[in-house]
Amino acid sequence: MKKLVLIVVLFVNNAFSQGCSDAGICSINHGFTTEEKSFKNHIEIAAIFGTGESDVRYVSPYVSYTKRFNDSFSFTSKVTFSMAHGSFGTRSQFGDAFLIGNYTFKEKNKKQWGALLGWKFPFTASNLKINGYSLPLDYQSSLGTVDLFLGTNLSYKKWDFNAALQIPVFNLNKNSYFKEYGRTDDFPSTNLFERKSDALLRATYSIKTTNKKFTFKPNVLFIYHLGEDSFENILGQRESIKGSDGLTINGNLITSYNISKQSSLELSLATPFVVRDVRPDGLTRSFVAGLQYRYSF
Amino acid sequence: MKKLILFPILFLILSCQVEGELTHTLENSVPITPAAMLKYHGTFVPTNGIVVSGEAKIYLEGTEYKVQLEDFSISSGPDLKVYLSKAATPTDFVNLGNLTSQTVYPIPSSVNIDDYSHVLIHCQQYSHLYAVAELIQN
Repeated sequence: MKKLVLIVVLFVNNAFSQGCSDAGICSINHGFTTEEKSFKNHIEIAAIFGTGESDVRYVSPYVSYTKRFNDSFSFTSKVTFSMAHGSFGTRSQFGDAFLIGNYTFKEKNKKQWGALLGWKFPFTASNLKINGYSLPLDYQSSLGTVDLFLGTNLSYKKWDFNAALQIPVFNLNKNSYFKEYGRTDDFPSTNLFERKSDALLRATYSIKTTNKKFTFKPNVLFIYHLGEDSFENILGQRESIKGSDGLTINGNLITSYNISKQSSLELSLATPFVVRDVRPDGLTRSFVAGLQYRYSF
Repeated sequence: MKKLILFPILFLILSCQVEGELTHTLENSVPITPAAMLKYHGTFVPTNGIVVSGEAKIYLEGTEYKVQLEDFSISSGPDLKVYLSKAATPTDFVNLGNLTSQTVYPIPSSVNIDDYSHVLIHCQQYSHLYAVAELIQN
């Protein structure tokens, strides 16, 4: 009964939001997972609910599997799916596959460093359509880029600090949305979109209850988009999207509940404090609630 | 092996689309009015392996130029666009949008129509030219 009450309370608490999606860098700190070392295998199933630009709503489930080879090295694979719904209709499709390797160094003076290397592979070229009409990136399940992740992590007492880069290495984006032909002014043109890299910094503080059933992880996430994105205009000329670079700052609260030694439930709620002037990549969320179930064996 | 087969099947089942108010199929796009003046026309010629028929006609309607595709049909393609082009290849062009069931494509007012000599049907996603209509002044 207590568990049921907890879940209801967590769901009705919807006063938070987030400035980024699960497209990549925002969830990369999961690749640094180091807490549970007594099991070698971990499976996560999650559903992320969000509201985006204009009237777009999202349901984005994912499944991931982590294999811990020893105390230092682990490997995570993850597949995402996305359903976007709004005035253009509903479009759903698999998003990306993630392959992430993580190395954790030995703890020294209560400090523990970690390093991360990963790749993201898109399942689509970001040109999903409805009735033959091109859709903005906000309705696409993937950015259509093969991305490299490089990251590092420092754990110190109850603090965790993450730094990471998400670098688009191969651009497979073939999006063909033009604002001129889109029947709405809500989304910018993203025909043959080219995206710049992101840099991430995250600071997390962990608070465990005395019975160790609950863990609260308030964290602040800084994402800097390292340049202006661009698209090919109707005259076939590449054009920069002014204001698409810059800083996003998110506040995020993660609440974990240990159901048993092997399984846990986690809720993530967040809100952006600072967003970029223009967000053509469709990653902006004004509200996000993510619910995740984790099983270890 | 079964898992390998299951994955693409899941991929197809879980991929879906439902139209919304901005993606309703236009049964009848706004037709060219009888008062419009025919300025250019050309017959579509296919590229290798493509089947195409019909004509491209450019009308001046009031102050706006429009491309109309008449008696038009073409082999299906994943990402076909209508280009107004300065050559028979898509190097210097105006992208008039997706080739859909609509038959009339307005030309942006900033375009000097006299600079363009062809209407192309081009698959943007796979960069493959499907058909070319060389324009003849009326």
